[in-house]
Amino acid sequence: MKVSYKWLAEYVDLKGITPEEVANLLTFAGVEVESITPLAQGTNLVIGQIVSCLPHPDSDHLHVLKVDEGEKYGVVQIVCGAPNAREGLKVIVARPGAVLPEITIKPSKIRGVESNGMCCSLLELGVDKKYLEEKQIAGIEELDSSAKVGDEDVLSYLQLDDVTLDLKLLANRPDLNAMIHVAEEVATLTHRALKLPVFEEIKGEAPEIKPAIATEKCSRFALAEVSDVHVLPSPLYLKRRLMACGVRSINNVVDIGNYAMLLTGQPFNMYDKDKLEGNTLVAEDDIEGSWTAMDEKEYRLEKGDICIASNHACMCLGGIMTSLTCTVTEKSKNIVVESALFDGASIRHTSSRLGLASESSSRFVKGLGESQEEALSCALSLLKELTSPSKVSSLAFAGKVKSPKKVIQTSLEYMNNRLGTSFSEEEVIRTLNSESFLTEKRGDSLFVTVPSSRIDVEGEADISEEVIRLLGYENVPEREMVLPGNGGYSEEQKRERAIRRMLRHLGVNEVLTYSLLPLKEENTYSALLKGKHYQILNPLTEDRLIYRHSLLPSLLSVLSYNASRQKNDLAVFEISEVAVEGRSEKHLGIALSGEENIISMLERRPYDFFTMKGYLEGILSLLGIKNNRVRYERLGTEESELHPGRSVKIYLGKELIAIMGELHPLEKKKREVKNAIVMELNLSSLLNVKGSQNKASIPARFPFTRRDLALICKEEVSFQKLKEEALHASSYIKDVFIFDVYHGEAVEKGKKSLALAFFLQDENKTLKEEEINEAMTKVMHALETKFAAEVRK
Amino acid sequence: MESLIEEAKKCQEDAIKEIESASSSSRLMEIRNIYLSKKGRLSSLLSELRNVEAKDKGRVGAILNKAREAVQNAFLAREKQLKEEEMKKELEKETIDISLPGRNFTPGTINPFYLIRDEICDIFASMGFRIVEGNDIESERYNFELLNMPHDHPARDMQDTFYLTNGLLLRTQTSAAQAHTLEEDLSKGPLRIVSPGKCYRRDDDDMTHSHQFGQVEGLVVGKGVSMADLKGTLALFVKKMFGEKRKIRLRSSYFPFTEPSVEVDVSCAKCGGKGCNMCKGTGWIEILGAGEVHPNVLKMGGYDPKEVSGFAFGVGIERVAMLRYGIDDIRRFYQNDIRFLASFHQED
Repeated sequence: MKVSYKWLAEYVDLKGITPEEVANLLTFAGVEVESITPLAQGTNLVIGQIVSCLPHPDSDHLHVLKVDEGEKYGVVQIVCGAPNAREGLKVIVARPGAVLPEITIKPSKIRGVESNGMCCSLLELGVDKKYLEEKQIAGIEELDSSAKVGDEDVLSYLQLDDVTLDLKLLANRPDLNAMIHVAEEVATLTHRALKLPVFEEIKGEAPEIKPAIATEKCSRFALAEVSDVHVLPSPLYLKRRLMACGVRSINNVVDIGNYAMLLTGQPFNMYDKDKLEGNTLVAEDDIEGSWTAMDEKEYRLEKGDICIASNHACMCLGGIMTSLTCTVTEKSKNIVVESALFDGASIRHTSSRLGLASESSSRFVKGLGESQEEALSCALSLLKELTSPSKVSSLAFAGKVKSPKKVIQTSLEYMNNRLGTSFSEEEVIRTLNSESFLTEKRGDSLFVTVPSSRIDVEGEADISEEVIRLLGYENVPEREMVLPGNGGYSEEQKRERAIRRMLRHLGVNEVLTYSLLPLKEENTYSALLKGKHYQILNPLTEDRLIYRHSLLPSLLSVLSYNASRQKNDLAVFEISEVAVEGRSEKHLGIALSGEENIISMLERRPYDFFTMKGYLEGILSLLGIKNNRVRYERLGTEESELHPGRSVKIYLGKELIAIMGELHPLEKKKREVKNAIVMELNLSSLLNVKGSQNKASIPARFPFTRRDLALICKEEVSFQKLKEEALHASSYIKDVFIFDVYHGEAVEKGKKSLALAFFLQDENKTLKEEEINEAMTKVMHALETKFAAEVRK
Repeated sequence: MESLIEEAKKCQEDAIKEIESASSSSRLMEIRNIYLSKKGRLSSLLSELRNVEAKDKGRVGAILNKAREAVQNAFLAREKQLKEEEMKKELEKETIDISLPGRNFTPGTINPFYLIRDEICDIFASMGFRIVEGNDIESERYNFELLNMPHDHPARDMQDTFYLTNGLLLRTQTSAAQAHTLEEDLSKGPLRIVSPGKCYRRDDDDMTHSHQFGQVEGLVVGKGVSMADLKGTLALFVKKMFGEKRKIRLRSSYFPFTEPSVEVDVSCAKCGGKGCNMCKGTGWIEILGAGEVHPNVLKMGGYDPKEVSGFAFGVGIERVAMLRYGIDDIRRFYQNDIRFLASFHQED
């Protein structure tokens, strides 16, 4: 809401108070003033009259003017380029030293001719272009012949000595879209007297057109007729007030509609009465089909849209816009003015469906009170005053009578408890009364009558807000809270924090990415969380269409974003929520690309599958999950983005907890990354797994023995399986290591040669040679039979 | 006999000369073999002692032994000297360029979003708040209805919210966690939680707007919890987060789920309240929204607003991070340009 300070001062005594002071009071009371802007600016201005206008000797468009600036300054020479400069014209002169929004005026020589000032246009005084006519922009302002030469109070003469307060209204205060309520608020905050205009109800003949209501979405509907209006330009004061409120003047009839709306908050609609067919205007909501609005565009109406109809033809899309057929024009003679209360939700629905909004629709959406009759009286008084009609009808009304004013029961104790304050009863009652919340004390209770414009006030909590808002939050003390109960982080949250810290210590960067992905990612990296993705019904761009089910596409984008900025070596991770329909999980994603920097450029190592596997083993160890609880299974071709020979699914018991692997060569190309290794881990399940507790293990007293074996087995036999079998074959085997894998000429195709080291130990004795040999025989036998492995002896 | 003595002297002279000119340990060992080994020259001279007359044996023997001893000493001295020289050379050879960089154990960087999120949560955790995490995908019930935004409330406009199917949506504020916590706390006893999370709004991304952003929501419920508790708690938070000298002030505002509602400003850390470009000359910076929990919200969560009251607040994570670290554009958080992230290594 843009507010004219001068208009406001007409209703509230603001003598000695600056617009800045008013803005500050409003801001602290919850009505933020976003800006204070003067309508026009300029110092050292004076009204002058051109007494001679000669062409400049050295220019084809400049004039050399002699301007009479009155007794004080005399006749002054000014060089001026305006095409409309001419002898006899009264003009605005900016004298040397004048400061205008864009320039400062100095005496100068223009092409050799002395110039002592500038004749101005309103544009040069800072008036917004949208309020000016073309000729006012092209040339200097032409003042009326009644203007007084030598008058230095030029802005005041032009009625441009006003400022606009731009109020940023919050959703609970739609009432402040009306000057009368802004004035009430300011009067309360400044403790100054309030004097609002009173509009008498017009006593005339009943209108020929009758209002009627045929839908629940319209609760109140008032109208009146004005006959033989004279459509003319508005008087200057009206134009200026509208300008200060951000509205362009059109003609007196349209301007009155806007002015009355700004004053009362209530939107109006005006119809050319002679274009209406029937004798009634009906508010209804079952009209369908094509319809043309006054913006000359065609819209498709649906059942449910509120229409004001004449003979079942839509004359106005209720609360939004008039029909082109009955719009008031300069030729209109007789008009109908209507003021109604519509259901805001319904208007919001229609307005957003059609993409058609107006000042009126926005007011209905925000919420209006039941003051249609008063508002209409205001508009009618102005029409009567400014359009010289032959006749103004009385007001016809359909709909609900006014609801009684809300009375809220509360108490001083409630307020002070809620606010933590110690206000006195006298203070509270005085404050509420000043804001027209009539307050009465009965016993320990206070009965507060809510003004009907304050549709936001519903209960006693709202009354306590009203009190503190007006008395100021500096009255609330800072109290240190004492409440029982323990807080802090849960075990899961602590574990998550530890994992993040560990990964960062390993040099992996913790990044933050968007949760929404383009549709093309719907089936990528879906092995870990399968299901139907969530899709945004009202997306802003196609790039943000689905809620992600995997973190990997986002992490790969981070890699390629940086790769395209010459950072090819990068390790990143993110912990975030992912979801498919009916299932939401917290995942950890890691992506590595390029090389690990070991010593700057001297020693580098490409990130590979085993770097990532090491990270996983580290995480599991941190959580106390032993490696033998985890099972690795080849992913194969299940995830087409990953290299089939270098990717795995990882199970904890029966549950799939992670996928890991190198990107498929085609995928690398698509994602524009060098070698990339990724892992995604279901952290929600992993953080809930019970890890083994820390427990001291006593170092064995007896030495271990190492025995090495070389064996040849089929390519697909995994080391993990061999190890498990060996551990199973003899209890003396405590651990198995692999120290060589060989493929080559000496080994048959499809097979590999492994070199294994076995560590044998007994807790209670030193093992004898025969015992060791016996154990190793068992191991060899087991490996030979189970895996058809060939032990090289 | 005299020739034997002569020879011994000569041998001693030769040996010492050679020992002193030996340039390496191996050469020295060769010399040692020539003179001092069992078959060496000095040993063979000693074996000739048996041909000396008995009366002279003692004298000659002593001379021979002295010569041997002298050679032996010279050998030991030279050996020690050579070893030292060789060690020195060896060490010189092993000298490294100490200016080369160390092996890389630098921790990875951390997006400043997490630094601030964690710090806010840590502060409230130290004040006894529990950390509760919600979900991005919410129902209209938790995101709106239970927060006192009924069906026709303007805040539910399609303009602002990303809708999914089946009445689901991406939460527009972490306050959704309030509704969950109130409903799920069966004890209906005192509550103190903070809930960090991501939120989504249908905003075009620019320097100050992001369709995704982070918030930390706080909620306290208990007997007699008032605006004074809110003010005290947030003043304490602001001191811990922005420094001991920071003050707060409250401005009246509006949120559907709190009543009264306030914006909380913190005194500008850059100018101390005098006014500067950071605070746009006002001396204050808007930092969070807060208020007393609306009685309707408590009622819908199963609490009796006549018995208990509470306050709630929400802090924007990126906003705090932008102020704290001087970040100019909210999109930087989501670009993850490593050159930008490299400024953030600090541990939590």
